[in-house]
Amino acid sequence: MSEKISKADRLINRRIKKSRVGKRVTVKKAAECFFTYLGLIVLAFIFLFPVLWLVLAAFSESGSMYTFKGFFPSAYSFETFKNLFTDTKMYDYPRWFGNTMLVATCSAILGSLLVILTAYVVSRFRFPARKGIMKATMVLGMFPSFMAMTAVYLLMTQFDLINNLAGLVLIYAAGAPMGYLTQKGFFDTISNSMYEAARIDGANNLKVFIKITLPIAMPMIIYTLLTSFTWPWSDFILPKLLLKNRDMYTVAVGLMSLGDTEFARFAAGSVFIAVPIIILYFALTKYMVNGLTAGAVKE
Amino acid sequence: MENTIVEDTSYHGKKPIGKRLATYFRNIPHRFCAFFKRLGGKFAAIPKRIARRAEYVRKAPKAVKASMCLPGLGQIMQKQIVKGIIFLLLFAAYVVYMVLLGGKAMYNFFSLGVIPPNPWLGIKGDNSVMMMLLGILAFIITGFYLAVHFANIRDAKRTHDYVARGNKTPNFIQSLGSMFDKYFYVTALVLPIVGVFVFNILPIIFMIFLAFTDYGGNIVSTGALVSLIGFDNFAMLFSMGGLLGSTFIKILGWNILWAVMSTFLNYFGGLGIALLLNKKIVKGKKIWRAFPVLAYAVPGFITLLAFKFMFSNLGPINYYIELFGGTGKMFFGIDSKWSARLIGWLVNAWLSVPSSMLLATGILANLNPDLYEAAKIDGASAWKQFIKITLPFVIFATTPVLIGQFMGNFNNFGVFFFLRGGIYVDGYFLASDTDLLINWLYNLSIDNNYYSLGAAISIIIFVIASVISIIVYVKSPSYSKEDMYR
Amino acid sequence: MKLKRIIAAFTATLMLVPLTACNGGGMREYYKNQSLDKLYDKFDGELEGGTAARPITLRVLENDTAKSSGYLKELLDGFNAAYADKYIVAVDANQDQFSDLATDGPYGYGPDVLYQANDMLMKYCDGKHITPLPVDKLDAYEYLPELAKKTYTYKLDGEEYFMGVGVNIQAPMLYYRKDLIPENWETEWDDNGNGVFDPLEDMRAMYRFSLARRAANPENYGFMQSYDDPYFACGYLFSYGAYVFGSDNTDTTDIGFENGDASRGAGIILQLAGTMNKGCVDNSITMSREQEFAAGHYFAVPNTQDMYGTLLSETVKAYRKQGMNAGEAKRAAEENICACPMPALPKSGDLTERDGELIDSTVMGGINAYAISSYTKHPKAALAFLNYATSYEQVLRRNEVLGIAPARSDCNEACTVQSNVAHSLYGMAEENRISIMPSVFGVDRIWTPLSTAFSDIANDPYRPGAEKYTKGGKPDYDALQKLLVEVDENIYSAIYTLAGGDK
Repeated sequence: MSEKISKADRLINRRIKKSRVGKRVTVKKAAECFFTYLGLIVLAFIFLFPVLWLVLAAFSESGSMYTFKGFFPSAYSFETFKNLFTDTKMYDYPRWFGNTMLVATCSAILGSLLVILTAYVVSRFRFPARKGIMKATMVLGMFPSFMAMTAVYLLMTQFDLINNLAGLVLIYAAGAPMGYLTQKGFFDTISNSMYEAARIDGANNLKVFIKITLPIAMPMIIYTLLTSFTWPWSDFILPKLLLKNRDMYTVAVGLMSLGDTEFARFAAGSVFIAVPIIILYFALTKYMVNGLTAGAVKE
Repeated sequence: MENTIVEDTSYHGKKPIGKRLATYFRNIPHRFCAFFKRLGGKFAAIPKRIARRAEYVRKAPKAVKASMCLPGLGQIMQKQIVKGIIFLLLFAAYVVYMVLLGGKAMYNFFSLGVIPPNPWLGIKGDNSVMMMLLGILAFIITGFYLAVHFANIRDAKRTHDYVARGNKTPNFIQSLGSMFDKYFYVTALVLPIVGVFVFNILPIIFMIFLAFTDYGGNIVSTGALVSLIGFDNFAMLFSMGGLLGSTFIKILGWNILWAVMSTFLNYFGGLGIALLLNKKIVKGKKIWRAFPVLAYAVPGFITLLAFKFMFSNLGPINYYIELFGGTGKMFFGIDSKWSARLIGWLVNAWLSVPSSMLLATGILANLNPDLYEAAKIDGASAWKQFIKITLPFVIFATTPVLIGQFMGNFNNFGVFFFLRGGIYVDGYFLASDTDLLINWLYNLSIDNNYYSLGAAISIIIFVIASVISIIVYVKSPSYSKEDMYR
Repeated sequence: MKLKRIIAAFTATLMLVPLTACNGGGMREYYKNQSLDKLYDKFDGELEGGTAARPITLRVLENDTAKSSGYLKELLDGFNAAYADKYIVAVDANQDQFSDLATDGPYGYGPDVLYQANDMLMKYCDGKHITPLPVDKLDAYEYLPELAKKTYTYKLDGEEYFMGVGVNIQAPMLYYRKDLIPENWETEWDDNGNGVFDPLEDMRAMYRFSLARRAANPENYGFMQSYDDPYFACGYLFSYGAYVFGSDNTDTTDIGFENGDASRGAGIILQLAGTMNKGCVDNSITMSREQEFAAGHYFAVPNTQDMYGTLLSETVKAYRKQGMNAGEAKRAAEENICACPMPALPKSGDLTERDGELIDSTVMGGINAYAISSYTKHPKAALAFLNYATSYEQVLRRNEVLGIAPARSDCNEACTVQSNVAHSLYGMAEENRISIMPSVFGVDRIWTPLSTAFSDIANDPYRPGAEKYTKGGKPDYDALQKLLVEVDENIYSAIYTLAGGDK
């Protein structure tokens, strides 16, 4: 019965709509559609073009960018890419790449562990120093960090960690808990009852953390891993300070040390270093969105 | 001025922003007074607190007293041998450290060395800055030790009370278990706190002390001895025939303008793109979203250098301008204050808008669609829906992120370092008219070795920034209403 | 009551310690004087030797061109073979060629032997980071020209110390393409009839030639140079009487970029910039000069000798693209890339005039040298390496591979590659036409202010309607003079306004 009525309703509704709206709305709609897509295309172009240009430059035959006719190299070749990996006498790109991979991976894992731990504890437990810690990290985050570089350098000479990738990992990982706010925001949204249930079952807090918190926080962990991977991946100030030996360079430092006439090599190296991150980002956009949001949404 | 917080009661629900602001500012003097009163009260209470502590010490049971004198002794007296030995070992380690290194380091912190290094003769000499650093480290280690010492006293007391209530003394396994249960937060935070103290806080304290020394110029490159000189660096900053001071004021002004404008553009740019992508008529959202994400994924220094080349004098942009009959521009030239600033602003947006977009996308997904339905029925226009529903929700939801973005832009080192580094403009002391404070600090300290002066300036920046952020942060929902969901 | 007193006394002593300890507590005076009598003792005695299991390692910092050309490997292999019986192994320090010994050395991360330019090396002297060399033990010392000896002499408390053994003299020379000289040059471009293409000996002719080349084809230029690089641009000021620091580049309170007719030199920069393109304002020309030179777009560029290899290889590439085979291209490139000293400048400073007196141009130069780090654990082995690397054969070989102009007089006479360049550099050095970069603390503060000022001058032709330094189509020498005075002041304030300038 009801179905029949609704069917009739729908028919009537459609009639009414058609008569009311008429052609003008379709025009308006078409215009809206047109402008939306126009905007999207313009945006896509803006964001794509510089990246595309770098890729083109990487395939340029000439080392200097100024021999290009506008944006486009006058001749293309694969030579630069080949040189990047084979001509390693001066610029050992494969090695730099390996170093970067090692540093970024280790500091991502270690740093994420520390961040998640800190965020979880600060969010879940109430202890005397808690508010103090929260305010202190906030304030410390304001400090112009590279002014502290002198101290970091002196400290690392004392630990004998200059020219040592482990030293870099240590600094990146140790600094990671300072940015725990996003992760804390995520844990704030998890209701206490879940933990309480486990506690009643007799699990201790360590077990709760491992068995319950970590699985729930998986999206957040992935987000954290991703962000703490990209930072060492593209940082160049700290490695420049701590790595003296060319064999120890990370890609960022190495690319910055290229000679004046090595623009094509720079571009090729840049393209190549961006690839892993791009793949990760595309694969994990969902987590990026969720992670960023979790830290932010507060009502 | 009456000494009570002014409350406006004539509104129900939320008051208009103007009213709220007015109330806020009217209450500032009062808050100020209250703050100092509280502070005064704390000082006034000191004798009382000391008396209370003394009372605690006097009345403490024997085992607790033993722990006060020698860590672990109380535990051993209460038959917690392993725990006691651990405390004892920690104490012994601290004592050994202090005797071998720490004591000397603390002394050196004040003396900053006496023997100038002379590498020609192989005399290593005293490294003043290293002494300062290790001295601070010694004080921090002492702080850590004191924390352990007090924990030891508390532990002895707790065990005493626990046994006094008629329980059996917990054995070592049980104590260990509590570390992963009741005191899990302590165990979990030890590593992060130690790491942050050594690699973040220690350097910052070092920096603060550096501002009161003469570590700059020739001293840096020759490794000569450093002296404490009190407030001279600050005095120089505020007098100095004006150039230093006026540079500071000019750069600060531009820095604030930059931070506000950049945060605005990045934020609303991201929101705009997210809204555009959110439209029902857009097909293939994932593909469209991929372009900004692509930009996000390329490391920042690469993009910045690419943009620098792109806008350089013989770069492609000028090539096309000239190809179509225009005269090329020097986008980052010495006269190009505003064009360089504008390009910097846009390039920074290129770098930061994608992350804002991802954020806004996530937040818009959380927005209740019923609100829009209701608004549509009321006949609200799209613009009105945006102003009345979307915007308040998004802004409210992202205040902490907004603060973070603001601070990030305030201290944005990369943009002008890469785009227009290596220029000193007339009227500025070792800086250009696009440099932000952080770039200026870099010029002063890394390029020109004026570390102590850079430290003094960063203390001033730090004070300004942290006061603002603490106020905003404490007021923000993520701090005051963090238990909302529970 | 007693407890309170004890606590008070304890606190008082606790506060007294920092007060008495502060800034060394007066003990610094006591330790201030360190006798330098035994300074050279470390070079005396038997050469250090390792064992087969634990050889002595010497870390050698060389520059990038030596490394990329393969010369460094040859040098290290040669040394290692010669000292294999002593078990001394020299290795590439593999650090950035500009890395700073002052930050690395004291902590043990610096090289043992380093090869850098004099402004870098002599900067280390105040901190005693490089060690004075025993002149009697240096094989190359007697062959060094006065300029090299003077540059590497460090004065401290009335004593003189010799800090580094110069290997090559380096100064910008004019590199040009012989095949781009117009065929009718003997009639059109040799006014004085001395058989030399005028633009190579007279900057006024070069100015006209540049304009003529551009008029014929807007893609082609004559003389090209980026003016943001003060090292290359300073020469124009020096030619007219400017200097960096007073009292032979030692008195940093006296900065002389405005001295004499320096504004005329600034005017030369302005006029030359007008014949180029916007690339002369930033580093665009520097970045592209080798390629554009090879492509035949630029007729001449000022360049240092170590870049000769790059010019050559790029030109060979360009020729091969035109269809020559490898041998032909190499031969053609070697024949067509020529170098000569920078052309003479008009005394009036006006490039548009045709006649009038000329003055020789002066350039800023440097002397690259080997020095020994004070932090090396094996000073005698380091000295042995230094002597090996500065030996007659090695310096000649260095010239063969890298095209550098040897500083040793015997090598300079005997060198084969770019020998005319080497000889004329030597001549210029003797005529005082090479102004060596200063070697005192403060020299690192001159670059950015200078670079900014030169860019500003070069910018003027590209500010139509808003010129700062042009009046009625001619350089406004008063405005330029004002700018140079400002440069002096800026450098002065960079060195002296703040801490550390208490000389």
